[in-house]
Amino acid sequence: MRTGKRLLAVLLLIVLSAGVLSGCGFRGGDDGSGQKFAGFGDKKVLRIVSGSENAELEPILEEFEQKENVEIEMTYQGSLDIMRLLEEEEIPFDAVWPASSMWLTMGDTAHRVKHAESVSVTPVVFGIRQSLAEELGFVGREVSVRDLLTAIRSGKLSFCMTSATQSNSGASAYIGFLYALLGNPEVITSEDLQSDELKTQVRELLSGVNRSSGSSDWLKDMFVEGDYDAMVNYECLMIQANKELEQQGKETLYVIYPYDGLSLADSPLGYVDNGDDEKEELFLKLQEYLLSGDVQNKIQQTGRRSGYSGISEENKSVFRTDWGLQPDRILSPIRMPAADVIEECLRMYQTDFKKPSLSVYCLDYSGSMAGEGNVQLVDAMEQLLIQENAQKNYLQASDDEINILIPFNENVIGAYTAVGAGDEIEGLYDKVEEQETGGGTDMYQAAVEGIHMLEDYDLTKYTPAIILMTDGQSDGSFKEFREAYDQLDNNVPVFSIMFGDANETQLQKVAEYTNARVFDGRENLTEAFRAVRGYN
Amino acid sequence: MRTKLIGLFILAAVIIAAAAYAMFTRKPEVTQINGYVGGEKIGLLEDTEITEILEKKYHLRMDYAKAGSLEMITADATGRDFLFPSNQTALEMYVKEKGEPVQSEIVLNTPIVLYTRKAVAEALTAEGIASETAGVHFVNMMKLTEYIEEGKRWADIGLSQLYGSITVGTTDPTKSNSGNMFAGLLANTLCGGVADTGNVDAVLPRLQSIFQKLGYMESSSADIFDQFLKTGMGAKPLIAGYESQLLEFAAENPDTWEQVKEDVVMLYPTPTVWSSHVFIALDEAGTVGIEAMLDEQVQKLAWEKHGFRTGLYDAPVDVEHFGVPGLAQEITQVAPMPDAAVMEKIIAALSM
Repeated sequence: MRTGKRLLAVLLLIVLSAGVLSGCGFRGGDDGSGQKFAGFGDKKVLRIVSGSENAELEPILEEFEQKENVEIEMTYQGSLDIMRLLEEEEIPFDAVWPASSMWLTMGDTAHRVKHAESVSVTPVVFGIRQSLAEELGFVGREVSVRDLLTAIRSGKLSFCMTSATQSNSGASAYIGFLYALLGNPEVITSEDLQSDELKTQVRELLSGVNRSSGSSDWLKDMFVEGDYDAMVNYECLMIQANKELEQQGKETLYVIYPYDGLSLADSPLGYVDNGDDEKEELFLKLQEYLLSGDVQNKIQQTGRRSGYSGISEENKSVFRTDWGLQPDRILSPIRMPAADVIEECLRMYQTDFKKPSLSVYCLDYSGSMAGEGNVQLVDAMEQLLIQENAQKNYLQASDDEINILIPFNENVIGAYTAVGAGDEIEGLYDKVEEQETGGGTDMYQAAVEGIHMLEDYDLTKYTPAIILMTDGQSDGSFKEFREAYDQLDNNVPVFSIMFGDANETQLQKVAEYTNARVFDGRENLTEAFRAVRGYN
Repeated sequence: MRTKLIGLFILAAVIIAAAAYAMFTRKPEVTQINGYVGGEKIGLLEDTEITEILEKKYHLRMDYAKAGSLEMITADATGRDFLFPSNQTALEMYVKEKGEPVQSEIVLNTPIVLYTRKAVAEALTAEGIASETAGVHFVNMMKLTEYIEEGKRWADIGLSQLYGSITVGTTDPTKSNSGNMFAGLLANTLCGGVADTGNVDAVLPRLQSIFQKLGYMESSSADIFDQFLKTGMGAKPLIAGYESQLLEFAAENPDTWEQVKEDVVMLYPTPTVWSSHVFIALDEAGTVGIEAMLDEQVQKLAWEKHGFRTGLYDAPVDVEHFGVPGLAQEITQVAPMPDAAVMEKIIAALSM
């Protein structure tokens, strides 16, 4: 077998060499094995699935791409999504780069990840508008989670955080809250979680969350664009946010390190062993590059704590003390509960604790959706609405949440409301499945209908969102939408999922106006719906 | 048209010639074996000097997947040629579960040590928990365990910059070897001698409560050591690991080691236990692995570059080589690990 392969490789090599002689472009593999080679003009590609916080490191990765003439394909997902991905049979990536090694270890039960090493470290911290932090008396002293809770309870502080079931920063902060509410035990146990008092307290606390998101970097973007008081996020993204806020002439954030609720993201980059030696070699080269002294220094300049001996003198200025940053602080985190308890915490967050979501799904049933498009849509909704499926991704509904379905073509076809996690939500799926396609497209009308339906609710009690899924150029007008939106007077994000021949400009305009985001469902509609659901 | 045809003939001729060449000059086959390996030995197996000896002298290439020493015993070993756990208990358990392997041999040794930072070591010394003799630091396990069980906080021993109570960070004792061996060491400490089936039951609840306090535990010794170095004193003030880990780090990263060596302290528990790395061959192909690992040159490189003491416990070593202060010339205070039956009881108790 091996000989056979070897022979084949030699033959191919010769044919390809002939190609070189005749002037065709060709870059051969240079690993000396003679068994693998790149095709004509192909670049070696390393596919990395990563937490979104690493998007800030792209310039550093690009330098590597150019130097080595390779391609690094980054796919951003929440760290908990990465954990669940590692549990799957097939992992369609060459490397994983979640925010914390905890999720890597919990997901990689089949031991397919090797060479995992921490690239940099950053703590999960609170950032509060400078003047508000001063008003609350948090400046220049040690602050406990309890102090933060008091401010939240009194209504003086509301904040944004990522979803605890999708993203590491949200999960870490949430577990920090649990510790504080339980009176700082040595470690959280399953029994601790069963108390009714805890349930009431956590709900009260999470009611102070005024915007959620499925990933940390996007939370930072949303924060900078919007008008909020505080957020929970990585120290490195606080620095980034402050740079952007300062540039825009807005008030910057004061960073707080809650001493009894701190957690660290150690950013491990690991290789997914699918038995491809060439990929492994490329991975190790990238890792060596990222861990080299020079690049570690560059990473530190982005506000991450890299290297072994703390923040260097030259980079101290990045960690501005007037923003509350403490470059010399010894970061002493809380102990995370045991893995099974963490899972229990996450399940409870999704079904019992978090502010219930109020989601309006406006789905395109125009003629162009007929056939394959409709099949994909029905499949995608099955993953969200049928609870047994949703549960696998910690996206199951809670008892108080509301889901509204608005099928549309050039008109609004209907509007159906489902409350809770039982029969009603699964009943929505029947509607999705039964509805026939036909007619034109006007997503604006559907969105306006959605806005009108939201008017019937006390939106402070929910995390509301409108999700538009469309596959074509929309008739109707943005103006009509804008008027209804302004009248609602609530910063409800209007997300959209782009499908088929959707007009990205139209969708982007809606997203920008409502401080939301466009998801690309053209390659994988189910993934896009899942991602959007992770935002509320 | 004509020239094209000639071109094709030439190409065909070249192909045939090259194929013939490839057939006749083929080197002896290199056999690839694969198995499960404890994370702490990956540096060794990735060492190109060692892989070269393996390939040239033994015509062997080792591929591996990382797994905890105990996990690999129960894991599905279909298609694997060897297991390379980090203690003898794993071998005993393997024999019990799956019968005698084709062959097995202790090929490397390293003692369990604790790693900490200078400030913590000083505080522990001031409390009389740690001590120094001829530049080597020791930790009195009895006293340390007392502090842990009493729930003393770091702040109580003068380290107010550290949050929480005094603990030793370890890997999950039910999954990984260093944590498992530390659990064995603690059981010995609590029993006041080597834990056996007669006395271990009485100390299990105490052992459980010590480990329960740790909460989430890493499942790989390599990961926890990487975190110890990178996340700093606050996150991992005191961890259990292998002596070899620091020696390997110092040998592989001399520049980085220069930067941190003043701050990192290695403490030898009195008494400690040996982590004996047993190579378990599951088939004939795997047995060559044993032969290769015991190669004199491989053993020398294993010490000099990766910090593993050789298969013989008392073989002399050159400690100056590493530039690691506080490296003991000999490991004299060693107790045996509790046997497999006792370790199984401990694991069962800690799995609850």
